[in-house]
Amino acid sequence: MIRVLDIALKDLLQLSRDFKTFMFLLIMPILFTFLFGYAFGGFGGNESDSRLPVGYLSQDDNWVTDSLHELLTKSEVIRLDENEFRSTADLERLVAEGELAAAIIVPDGYGRAVLKDKTARLTVIADTGTQAWITIEADLLTIAGRLHDAIRTASIIESVDAERMPFKYAFEQSLSAWDEPPIAIKETKSAAIEKAGSNSSAMAHTAPAMMLQFAIAGLLTAAQVIVTERKSRTLQRLLTTATSRIHIVFGHFLAIFFLIFTQFTILIAFGQFALKVDYLRVPAATLLVAFTAALCISALGLFIGIVAKTEEQAIAFSLIPMFVFSGLGGAWVPLEFTGETFQAIGHISPVAWGMDGFENIVARGLGFESVLLSSMALTGYAIFFFLLAVWRLNVTEEK
Amino acid sequence: MSNMAAIEVLNLYKSFGENQAVQGVSFDVSQGEIFSLLGPNGAGKTTTISMLSCLLRPNEGDARVMGHSIRTDAMGVKSVLGVVPQEIALYEDLTARENLSFWGKMYGLRGLELKKRVGEVLEVIGLLDRANERVGKYSGGMKRRVNIGVSLLHKPKVIYMDEPTVGIDPQSRRSILDSVVALKDQGMTVLYTTHYMEEAQELSNHIAIMDHGKMIACGTHDELVKLVGGQTRIDLTLHMDDGKTIDAWRDIEGVTHVAAENGTIAVLVNDSNIVLPKLFEAATNHSARITSVAIREPNLEAVFLHLTGRALRD
Ligand SMILES: Nc1ncnc2c1ncn2[C@@H]1O[C@H](COP(=O)(O)OP(=O)(O)O)[C@@H](O)[C@H]1O
Ligand SMILES: [Mg+2]
Repeated sequence: MIRVLDIALKDLLQLSRDFKTFMFLLIMPILFTFLFGYAFGGFGGNESDSRLPVGYLSQDDNWVTDSLHELLTKSEVIRLDENEFRSTADLERLVAEGELAAAIIVPDGYGRAVLKDKTARLTVIADTGTQAWITIEADLLTIAGRLHDAIRTASIIESVDAERMPFKYAFEQSLSAWDEPPIAIKETKSAAIEKAGSNSSAMAHTAPAMMLQFAIAGLLTAAQVIVTERKSRTLQRLLTTATSRIHIVFGHFLAIFFLIFTQFTILIAFGQFALKVDYLRVPAATLLVAFTAALCISALGLFIGIVAKTEEQAIAFSLIPMFVFSGLGGAWVPLEFTGETFQAIGHISPVAWGMDGFENIVARGLGFESVLLSSMALTGYAIFFFLLAVWRLNVTEEK
Repeated sequence: MSNMAAIEVLNLYKSFGENQAVQGVSFDVSQGEIFSLLGPNGAGKTTTISMLSCLLRPNEGDARVMGHSIRTDAMGVKSVLGVVPQEIALYEDLTARENLSFWGKMYGLRGLELKKRVGEVLEVIGLLDRANERVGKYSGGMKRRVNIGVSLLHKPKVIYMDEPTVGIDPQSRRSILDSVVALKDQGMTVLYTTHYMEEAQELSNHIAIMDHGKMIACGTHDELVKLVGGQTRIDLTLHMDDGKTIDAWRDIEGVTHVAAENGTIAVLVNDSNIVLPKLFEAATNHSARITSVAIREPNLEAVFLHLTGRALRD
């Protein structure tokens, strides 16, 4: 119905007159993203390099080892941290202290062993219980596998036509044929970053956290519009026109939804381009989480607007869930840092589901399917809050 | 003017818990007339209007507005109706033009027609030059005018105005009263509520007097005044009275009602020439001094006094 749209547009016009709206929806989240982002990760260091720092020590002197080194330097996951004065013991200590995600030691004779197709082993120091290790292991296996395969291919070619295809040339050819390896490890990249504690990991957490938190704070202006409408008797007057309650409810809901969704869009764009938080890695997933989170928060806003009797209550009723849901939902301290019990309790908060969804995309590097559960939970909350709002409306309705 | 009633009210009842706000009100309003509900605060005027605009559901009774029942056809009622609520009901953070435009849409107006009507109404309420200021910055009188303007946008057949002149300056009041008459001249039916008897007297074709939820009289101004017969109302003020004078007055032959309120005493008498000297005499006997006397033509005030024994004031 067109009236729903008219009411929504009227609400938005009113909201646009209130500076608090912009303050809570855009200025505060950006400010707090910088603040929290700085507190978590700081801005120093190598911002663009999010690869895992891995120590490297070669005890072998062979061109095959050099090839391995080259492959490792090109890795998308591993950033070689080389210092020829370090000993094996040093590396062990650095890994234990978390300075390095892992360390690779190439033992003497590795290159020759590979060439002779004998069992050749790299020594790797790592805490095998971590996410980071899983990532590194996968990458190492791929790289080592590539090296072995290239050598095997080269020796076969050489044995067939050694004149026109010298071994080293064949080796290089077959190695480069692998330039696009079939195993995509890239996706797990960011999970590792988290362990590495680099800067953009802090942003990948903080940006969505502040976005969700201040979307709830932004409800206070929206809820005020609904409260004022009732207090100023314009709601009564609306009901003397041929406008029904359901039009009014959906009109308000639509306005808040538009507001929150626009906020998400702007902040996601800001996060993507200014903070390098990779929301657009899986655009459809980001869209789905933003959409369902906005649905959920709008329904909450509608409920608050209907329950609150005064403007002051509208403010209080918006700020209390903001603190409770944000705190509980891991917007301040990531839930991964807490125990299992708290994680379970935290998921009472819709913010936890929103965080899961966004972090699966920007921090854990997972695919579209990873946000389905979160989106479903958020939609569930949206329906729950909406029904609660309609129920309250019917209770307060005078007959 | 057709003979069909624009509004037929049949025995409406409404109570809020123990409080019986409206107890069996019935009246008919003809098309194209101004009909006033006159009564003091709390008489049940707003409650009646709320039921007639389908905001409240009556406990008993029914009403038809242009043939639409308030019980079974709320949307039909709303479609012929413009309601000016007693309380100003506007969006204060929007301008007058934005308010009118929004309400016009709620009344089903669109596009060019909406634009045209908003312009016309702004002119009628005399706010064309300040249309783009926020309503929150307006004076009480200006808000009242916008409050009325909103209900005129869709040119309703029937318009309810619930005490539209409360709390405003005399100039705004004058312009509102003039516009009510103008609406009637355009053929609209107006149901007007007020607790000012002068307004009811000046505007209305028919007047229903309400008190304590009941309709105590209904008719034209002249018909109502006849209820007090040949009685005259005398308003007096007393100096140094301990209440005994007033009691003494009640016992004087020819005095039918005495009501004291806000320092003025209203006395309803059969023949002022005979009774007035007796009033002075009684005052002297009780050592009180009459400081002012006014003999009034019989009016609605006298009617109310006659019917309820109380003065009609706020
Ligand atoms: N919503 C309500 N809830 C409870 N009592 C009400 C309500 N509205 C009006 N009343 C009571 O009903 C009576 C009639 O009120 P109202 O219709 O507003 O009178 P009027 O408009 O003539 O001043 C009053 O006693 C008032 O207190
Ligand atoms: Mg009233």
